[in-house]
Amino acid sequence: MSIPPSDWEVVIGLEVHVQLHTRAKVFASSPWGFGKEPNEQVDPVVLGLPGTLPVVNREAVEKSILFGLVVGASVPEHCSWDRKNYFYPDNPKNYQLTQKDFPVVVGGQVEIELPGASRNVMGEHKFIRIHHAHLEEDVGKLSHAGSGSLVDYNRAGVPLLEIVTEPDLRSSAEAEAFLRSLVAMLTQAGVADCDMEKGQLRCDCNVSIRRRGVEKLGTRTETKNLNSISSVRDTVIYETARQIRELEAGRSITQETRGWNAELARGYVLRDKEDAHDYRYFPDPDIPTLKISRETVARLAKLVPENLYDRQRRYVEKLGLPYTAASVLVNDRALAEWFELAVAAHPANPSGIANLVANDLLRDLAASAGTAGAFDESASAPVSLLSCPIKPAQLAGLVKLTDDGVISKQQAKEVFSEMFKSGQDAAVIVDAKGLRQNSDTGELEKIVQEVIADPAVAKSIAEYRAGNEKAINALKGPIMKRTQGKANPVLIDQLLRKFLG
Amino acid sequence: MAEGFDIDHLAKLARLSLTAEEKALYSSQLNQILGHFQALAEADLPATIDDARVVNEAALRSDEPGPVLGAEAVTRIAPASRDGQISVPRVVDDES
Repeated sequence: MSIPPSDWEVVIGLEVHVQLHTRAKVFASSPWGFGKEPNEQVDPVVLGLPGTLPVVNREAVEKSILFGLVVGASVPEHCSWDRKNYFYPDNPKNYQLTQKDFPVVVGGQVEIELPGASRNVMGEHKFIRIHHAHLEEDVGKLSHAGSGSLVDYNRAGVPLLEIVTEPDLRSSAEAEAFLRSLVAMLTQAGVADCDMEKGQLRCDCNVSIRRRGVEKLGTRTETKNLNSISSVRDTVIYETARQIRELEAGRSITQETRGWNAELARGYVLRDKEDAHDYRYFPDPDIPTLKISRETVARLAKLVPENLYDRQRRYVEKLGLPYTAASVLVNDRALAEWFELAVAAHPANPSGIANLVANDLLRDLAASAGTAGAFDESASAPVSLLSCPIKPAQLAGLVKLTDDGVISKQQAKEVFSEMFKSGQDAAVIVDAKGLRQNSDTGELEKIVQEVIADPAVAKSIAEYRAGNEKAINALKGPIMKRTQGKANPVLIDQLLRKFLG
Repeated sequence: MAEGFDIDHLAKLARLSLTAEEKALYSSQLNQILGHFQALAEADLPATIDDARVVNEAALRSDEPGPVLGAEAVTRIAPASRDGQISVPRVVDDES
């Protein structure tokens, strides 16, 4: 894979097709879902049989508006549907219902985060503008067998939101970051599930290159139907290298539609501009223009979750979390909200809670779900908290016991594992295992005084009294040893300072 | 007016093979038609909403799944089928 020489700049725009989270199809009441037998989720409206009329699904419209609100778009007063005419057997009506002149979402932007220099360093942030998003119907699925092709219309009519970006992306890494961020926003708002293995998110990728500093855009190619984030990334890398090779060899770029073969990791020409379809768009006479009430917009605005990067900034700046933990938590809304419930129960130490959630809890949840290690591979792989045996307040209780010096951090890990197994409160486990550190002041005072009296530590005491703060640490080891590690370190420190004062 | 189209390209998109005489005839007819549209295009008419066609959200369908036809019924109305799917001549939009 070649990296473009620095005097070329790649310009990328994406069209992202997302299946919306609804139960029924977008213009028909037929149910839809992945994994059903072919043509079992089809009704007369889906097939466009004579006498049928499409009626728009309210949930599909509202999910589209919600997406608009999530990306800060303006929600227009009206939206309407058009017919896109083309003849291909994946399309039972010979036209696809889509929105051309008056889409449901206009404008907006998506914040993205590029990878940092290392895992624990935050990368650069950028905003990618959304041109518009329109609500249309998905088409059927073709499979090719021998001399013929077979058609399954289960997917036909599934609500599809096509999100079109401005050509704001400048690298494969930015395209990848954009898609991850978009998927997080869509899933966190409940707009779509974005399960790429089920074909719920597919991309068309427009790529052109230009000499750095040149404003005019180069001729672009469009690679269609990419069904994973990695395919988009690989297509950008491939297409950039190909276009540079063509232009540097003195040839020109043909405006064309291309396909991507993920197995062979190479692109191919589907059709050139000469074959471009004329879709003869016109307003669909069966579906009236829809007026979107401001009351609906206001109601949906309340469902917009906190933006994941706003959340990340809040965690780092207000709660003092390390970037690494914050970035893991914000990728999954349910996990972030779980974390916040725990913080509400013990506000003194958000970082302590975050570390247990981002490391121990996720690890044990993944292991119990049999998907160990899957979590950080994808922003869209939330581990189920429904089956989590520990409640947020219980985790807070564990962190509080550690903070109060009742148990050590090391012991906390052990108690955590036990909590995950039994669902018991931390305090119950600590008592049952006899882990409680010694907080009996009277007994401890005696030990502290004995240790101070030991001539072996006289030098350290002298140094401490002379102003060397750290010298006091030399006294803690012997005290810990005499209490078999059960003494409360905070209390030891207090007592030492009292007696040496 | 200048021709706003390429007759060979249009013929290709329409899957038509035209003789030279037909090309000349259709070019001139298309030019006439385009002339009419050009006259219309000169009117200042931005894309607007036709108020008579506007409905509010009460006209939307609720997200309740309804009955389906079933694969048997779907394939029965198709000219040919196989394994619950509709069978069509091979169409390939693929690397070949």
